[in-house]
Amino acid sequence: MINFEEELKKFNPSLEVEDAVEAIYNQDLTDMADLLVKMLKESEEKSEQ
Amino acid sequence: MFCYNCDCHLSEHDFCTACGADVSLYKKIMHVSNMYYNEGLERAGVRDLSGAITSLRQSLKFNKNNIEARNLLGLVYFETGEVVAALSEWVISKNLRPEKNIADTYINMVQSNAGRLDSINQTIKKYNQALAYCLNDSKDLAVIQLKKVLSLNPRFVRAHQLLALLYIDNEQWEKARRELNKCMDIDRNNTQTLRYLKEVEGMLATEEPEAGVVKSKKDDIVRYQSDNEVIIQPRSVREPRNPLLSNLINVAVGLVIGLAAMYFLVVPAAVKEAEAKAKTEIAEMVEQMDVKTRRVQELEKQVKAFTDENQELSAKLEGYVGKDGTLNNVDYLLNAAKHYLENQDLELTAQQLDLIDKDLNQEETSESFRSLYDLLLQTIGPDLSKKYYNEGYTAYRNEEFTTAIDLFSKAVYYDASNVDALYNLGNAYRRNGDVQPAIDTFDKVIELFPNTERARRSKQYRNTLAEEQNN
Repeated sequence: MINFEEELKKFNPSLEVEDAVEAIYNQDLTDMADLLVKMLKESEEKSEQ
Repeated sequence: MFCYNCDCHLSEHDFCTACGADVSLYKKIMHVSNMYYNEGLERAGVRDLSGAITSLRQSLKFNKNNIEARNLLGLVYFETGEVVAALSEWVISKNLRPEKNIADTYINMVQSNAGRLDSINQTIKKYNQALAYCLNDSKDLAVIQLKKVLSLNPRFVRAHQLLALLYIDNEQWEKARRELNKCMDIDRNNTQTLRYLKEVEGMLATEEPEAGVVKSKKDDIVRYQSDNEVIIQPRSVREPRNPLLSNLINVAVGLVIGLAAMYFLVVPAAVKEAEAKAKTEIAEMVEQMDVKTRRVQELEKQVKAFTDENQELSAKLEGYVGKDGTLNNVDYLLNAAKHYLENQDLELTAQQLDLIDKDLNQEETSESFRSLYDLLLQTIGPDLSKKYYNEGYTAYRNEEFTTAIDLFSKAVYYDASNVDALYNLGNAYRRNGDVQPAIDTFDKVIELFPNTERARRSKQYRNTLAEEQNN
């Protein structure tokens, strides 16, 4: 049986057009490729030391 | 695919031919990203938009520069009504690859039409308002608001889902199912939609037999085998014995029912309507009567005001025209002037002047009236005074004291400096027994003509009279 109150909690307010810029800036764009490059650079630095 | 270290084009080898960097892992990551993109594309193709979103986001987690995946994610968001999320993805895509990017077209499509952008924003605001209504337990308002949202953007999946949830809460299963079916048309594999739909279908399945919409007619039929065929025949069907009679009976029953309906439904309604109409007419007439009564009262008041004004003006006119009116006084003065100028007739002039009201209010007369009156008095006053004095003295000698008083008074009036007239007026009063007027007159002689013989004698008479009065 669906609980209305519980289901309602799953709905969030939709972003308005004015908030789009903020949403874009706040988006975390770090991907796996970035992490890999970072790890490789760190390991290279360690080996050089 | 480009080298993460030197941005050179990578070959099929696991190292960069330009800088020698090991790119085996990097290539695997790129491949995984592409694999998720392909999966997302496939899911979007069969309208599994939720699944497509999941796959495309995974793809971007592996490679944020996967522009195709990002653009497709934006497109999927747009399809589900999440316009701001779509715009965000396209803007990021445009920043990552400014040239030759289809995101540019998408952004222009949305932004070039100001009306459309405004409509999108209004839709989002209304959706948020509807959600707020839900949280404040104003579910009816939320339903109305969501209907508005969906009329503006019929592809807004979340709005459909929320509306369906409200219908479920209100046990309007059929309406909920309709909304959820619309969700399914847009996004076929949305877990939330499927969950709600399962609930709704379950409730409808339990309700349908109770509602008795489909009635089993097993009891009303007879089945039997005839050779190889199964014959199904209704149990209660009978052939009519006399079709014409039964038709007539049916028509008669129909007529009776019609007449009864007419009597019980139409007639009372018509009577009610007529009564209501009559009441309305009576109310209108009463209102009109009230208006007219008020008008009559107003007119009566006006008539009274005009009558009062008329009386006042008549009184004023009487003041001017009446027996002692100002106009008459003017006539007397003009006649007096005429007699004097024509014949120097003192007697006639005096007669006319005597007719002028001596107590006439100076303010009610004009300046020219007063000037002429004063001029006449100055011109003929002393002569008139002398004339009246002589007549008065004759009357005094004949012991006609009342006449003498009258004539001496006129003599004093026309010439206030006539001391003899004033003195003899006092004597006439004295001889006539008018003690107080006599004392007052003698007082005037003493005051106006002091140190004269008349004053001395007046003083004697005055004192004598005063003593007599005290005794």
